[in-house]
Amino acid sequence: MLRAGPVSTPRWASAVRARSIRAAHAETQRARLSSVAGSQSSVNPEEIAHFSRLSQQWWDERGEFGLLHKMNPVRMQFIRNKVLEIQREEDESSANETLPLSGLDVVDVGCGGGLLCESLARLGGRTLGIDASSSNIAIASLHAAGDPALASTSTSAKSKGTLSYEHTSVEELSAQRGPASFDVVCSMEVIEHVDNPRMFLTNCATLVKPGGHLFLSTIARTPLSYFLTIFAAEHLLRLVTPGTHTHSKYINPDEMTDFFLSTPLPPDNAMSLNGAQATTQQQASRPWISHLNGGAPLRTEAEIRGMVYLPWKGEWMLVPRGAPGASVWAEACNYLFWVRRPLE
Amino acid sequence: MLRSAARVGAIGRNTKRAYVLLRRAASTSAPQETDVVIVGGGPAGLALASALSSSALARSALKVVLVEAGDLSKVAGWVPPPVTWRDKSLTLKPQEIGAWNYVEDGRTCPIDEMQIWDGISDARITFSAHDDHAIAFSPPGAPSQMSRMTENLNLQRALLRHLHETSAVEIADKVKVQSIQREEREGGGWPLVHLSDGRVLRARLLVGADGFNSPVRAYAGIQSYGWAYDTTAVVATLFHHPRTSFQAPNTVAYQRFLPTGPIAFLPLSPTASSLVWSTKPHLAKALLASDPGVLASMINVAFRLPEVSLRYLHNVILDAASSGAPITTEKLQQEIAWRERSHSIDSRSAYSLAADPTGVPPADADLLPPLVTSIQPGSAASFPLRFNHADEYIGDGPGARTVLVGDAAHTIHPLAGQGLNMGLGDVEALSQCIHQALLTGGDIGSRTALLPYARARYFENHKIMAACDKLHKLYSATAEPVVWARSVGVEVLNELDSVKAAMMLAAGSRPSRARPSGAQLGANLAATGLESLARGVSGVRTLTEGVANLAGAGVQRLLQTLSDSQRR
Repeated sequence: MLRAGPVSTPRWASAVRARSIRAAHAETQRARLSSVAGSQSSVNPEEIAHFSRLSQQWWDERGEFGLLHKMNPVRMQFIRNKVLEIQREEDESSANETLPLSGLDVVDVGCGGGLLCESLARLGGRTLGIDASSSNIAIASLHAAGDPALASTSTSAKSKGTLSYEHTSVEELSAQRGPASFDVVCSMEVIEHVDNPRMFLTNCATLVKPGGHLFLSTIARTPLSYFLTIFAAEHLLRLVTPGTHTHSKYINPDEMTDFFLSTPLPPDNAMSLNGAQATTQQQASRPWISHLNGGAPLRTEAEIRGMVYLPWKGEWMLVPRGAPGASVWAEACNYLFWVRRPLE
Repeated sequence: MLRSAARVGAIGRNTKRAYVLLRRAASTSAPQETDVVIVGGGPAGLALASALSSSALARSALKVVLVEAGDLSKVAGWVPPPVTWRDKSLTLKPQEIGAWNYVEDGRTCPIDEMQIWDGISDARITFSAHDDHAIAFSPPGAPSQMSRMTENLNLQRALLRHLHETSAVEIADKVKVQSIQREEREGGGWPLVHLSDGRVLRARLLVGADGFNSPVRAYAGIQSYGWAYDTTAVVATLFHHPRTSFQAPNTVAYQRFLPTGPIAFLPLSPTASSLVWSTKPHLAKALLASDPGVLASMINVAFRLPEVSLRYLHNVILDAASSGAPITTEKLQQEIAWRERSHSIDSRSAYSLAADPTGVPPADADLLPPLVTSIQPGSAASFPLRFNHADEYIGDGPGARTVLVGDAAHTIHPLAGQGLNMGLGDVEALSQCIHQALLTGGDIGSRTALLPYARARYFENHKIMAACDKLHKLYSATAEPVVWARSVGVEVLNELDSVKAAMMLAAGSRPSRARPSGAQLGANLAATGLESLARGVSGVRTLTEGVANLAGAGVQRLLQTLSDSQRR
């Protein structure tokens, strides 16, 4: 599954992750009681050769994942800004400009090679990266081991972040840690590849602590995104293996908003799914977005920001809040979504 | 194979701990983990260290080591001697003005005006601080001079003092870099810097501020292109009489473009100035070998006599030198007096070496620098000029995690005095780039983090370098049509104030237009001490502006300004 020949885009990575996740889902169905992570202790030489090859690709900044590397600072900028904004909102003095994620439990669902995870840990988060592909986890671990700032053994100050990886699925993690166990849950470029986005969203949301953050990034289902990500990238320029993207699976920003506007989270079924951990307090939950104001959620509840690639600069840009007509051009392709779980 | 199998197996079970143990066992001497290793303690290296130690974020996140082969305590302990000048002077743009808080004030000199003229046609262009109309909009108290001169040592000492005060950067001086090797590691190792004191530094980011023969550039495998000019620069500190009360003070820089190369006179104090004279190598050699009086006289005539007489005098000196009997000062002065008479130069004119430096000056005195009376002993020196530009500023592949600043990246003809400015510009861009990467949790050694630095500086530097190179070539020509064309061009230009203002802006006499100047200058003026050094030398000023305001140029800045104003 992972030996799928030469590939050339970050999207592919997500596809692999998603496929792995699907595979993991299937596996979960078959043997719910056996831990996915438990099966990876013996590693065969073929896989080692394979890790090394993939490792080169994940962290080759000029290679297949170059665009993803360039996107990373923009995603981090959004996460940083949003977390700080809420910290300031609640208590001006609690905002930690140096290490905004300090003291927070952070999980990245579908972490791939760990691009986002390393940055999250550098900003102070007690970071956990999970991926259903054991290869990705091995590669991410291998890369992080080379960086003394990320090695937990060398961490001196308590406020500094830590980083660990686990080969598991979001469902398994939920069962293992229990719901509401993370302050920040991220899942970047994953949801457009999963079969049941509603369930995936629910599972991610379940992990978020009251008052915590959920960050997602994906692609909107518009003619523009069809043109850019499928027609141009896959068929015209062949940057992406054709078939990587399925336009019908893309999710529009307003669909994302509607989900959190209408669905009380965490839902009761998610609770029962994870055993007897549901409490009366959590059952009394309400939708995360209380109402829309002129079509947009309150800034303290949820936010959508477009990401635009500027080829002439070779950089991604986070489209500023309230840029004229942003919903037409800026959020019509790649976008970031943030939503906060209300305090109980 | 076996080793890597063991490694990955270990990772499967217990990621980091097992790996760390394995790595320790494998290496004999444990390398010291560092984030930034700066090789070279010149102005660029010190300025970068200083900039990084000024930012609270960088201080808390980065371990910075600066390695310098020389003894920096001599620089730190430098006390300006009352009369003598110990180093060559360099121009600084006022945008770096914050740095002056640590610079010995008495050892700097403002430059209010620059006069540049053609050695053959005498076509002259004058740049004055008053040409820069932007000054009218500056807040009161903003610097109004075009640039300031100081000695290299003075600047270095100021930076060192700042570094000692913050003590955030480890300064390893009197330590040589013995070798730089690449760590063996799957997926790309970090540079290992082996020092002469036996230490090994493992560098997340290795900064080459190590000059023209940069070992870091060699390690990174970055090629450079360039050539040696058939030209040598003679530098010296000159003494002269003060300007009389009928004249402007000694704040005017003069430069005359001779076919052999430009000669520049740069004021340091009322009675001392700095010389940068680019000329043919054999002539430079003969001048430095002869009596100091000969050199002083030749400097004076180089600003005054017509080109044909200069050529004649050069031949006299060269002939005398080759015959083994260098010309004496008296003999040369006789020759000069004869040449002056043959050009009918009045002995009371400023163009005559016999002019009386006291009393009422002749009408044309302001067109020329004061007459040099003597040269500070030991100050005269020479170095060959070259043009050199690295192909890239960021190492790649096997040379990853390296970046070049200052002369390691570019060596330039000194005719516009832009070498130091370019180096400080590099430092400002790089420290901003590092700061931005730290804000978003980036790996400061990664190509993604460093790319904005290269993008900000490469073309910028290239423009300046190319312009200086073209100027050098244009003014080497003596063919009549070329001289006519360049002279007409210069004289027309001299009448176009707005174009001149734009040229001065580009040469760095104003804060760069990339930043909103009003609030910026206000902030600069309000700040004192450490903070303003940081603001001046580095990009740390941006710290005060919140997160979103940091990145990029053009569209991005425009849009971000928009978002900022909405947030506030």
